[in-house]
Amino acid sequence: MARSAKPAAEAAKSTNQLLIEQMMTKVATISQDIEKRGQNIFGQSNLLTIDEINDYSLEFLELFVLLLQAGERIDRRGSEYKALRQFFSNFSQQIQIRGGNLEEFVRYIHFMQDIFLHNLEADATLGFQQTREILLLLASVFNDIILDVFHIYLAEKERTIQAQQEELKHTSTPITEIWDGVLTLPIIGTLDSSRTMSVMENMLARIEKDRARVVVIDVTGVQAIDSQVSHHLIQMIRAVGLMGAKAILTGIRPEIARAITSLNIDLSMVSTRSTLSEGLKEAFALLGVSVQTASGPHH
Amino acid sequence: MTMVRGMHLTPIGEGCVLLEPTDGFDPGDPDAYLIPLAGALQRMRARRLLYDLKNVPVIDSLYFAWLSSLAAMCRISGISMVVVSMRPATAYALALTMKDQPPFDCALDVNRARSLP
Repeated sequence: MARSAKPAAEAAKSTNQLLIEQMMTKVATISQDIEKRGQNIFGQSNLLTIDEINDYSLEFLELFVLLLQAGERIDRRGSEYKALRQFFSNFSQQIQIRGGNLEEFVRYIHFMQDIFLHNLEADATLGFQQTREILLLLASVFNDIILDVFHIYLAEKERTIQAQQEELKHTSTPITEIWDGVLTLPIIGTLDSSRTMSVMENMLARIEKDRARVVVIDVTGVQAIDSQVSHHLIQMIRAVGLMGAKAILTGIRPEIARAITSLNIDLSMVSTRSTLSEGLKEAFALLGVSVQTASGPHH
Repeated sequence: MTMVRGMHLTPIGEGCVLLEPTDGFDPGDPDAYLIPLAGALQRMRARRLLYDLKNVPVIDSLYFAWLSSLAAMCRISGISMVVVSMRPATAYALALTMKDQPPFDCALDVNRARSLP
């Protein structure tokens, strides 16, 4: 029974020391295994080059040894632990940026843990208590790392979604100065409070910057209108008026007109035209501009 | 320039008078201003009052009530009232809280206000 015949000095060693010794005696095998598995997971999908995989594997082992050397117990506030977490943050971010998925990455971390567990099984000199403590240590460190990676993944996803939403907001409401003093604002989709806020802010700033006199708001692309959307539209039109410009609402489709009348929404103070071109003619008329073809007045 | 407490009044030609509220102005006490202001505008033979909001960052319900009272007084006196130079952020905040059309005209700046029909 090799496990019960361990020397007294061995028993007195801390869990961290035991793990370090195990790693040191088998560092070449561990490193090779990690690299090989990394190449299988990330190399085949061209997410990382072989050099990068090898560098990451070595860096991981170095940081892990430093963490174990830092004290008898893992200090989660210590710089070594932070460095290991930072390493996995950077690593997972890089995998994500290159189009890798979380599942592959988590599997890779599990595999790293498995390598240590296999080595543990193979080591007959360790007693039951020591094996148990090493197992607990590995489970605790690797679980934390997986949780961190998961948080980073979610945060990155959220950032991407927010950036896409912002981009969509700007591209779906382009404000264009179509003539000196005339701005057009085509609205596509629906108008919720957050979008109204962003559109209004941009529009009012543009009225001031371009010294606009007329703003043509085209709702041809608005699929449905409810009391909330109409309320937002009225707020927009009022804000335009407060800036000293005139708002013209265009592109009210029959379904929208019907919805507005059913909802008893009063748009009597709003100048409306059926199409964007009619709205532009109205804007030109307000500015005293007449558009003519080379051969005569344009109809 | 004519002084009414809390504001500067400047005739700028063609019957237009520019009103610039000063730091000491208190919109919570309209009665303290309306009568002296009406007198001053009559003496200046004003036909249009241009209320400069350049230095007014927020129009809350109190300030809006003051502007509405002033607009009502102008209407009775045969004077048109135009607010000018409202900041985008102010217009935005006011539009969210307003329930009806404002009882005064608005213009981007003094020149635009003067050229209104």
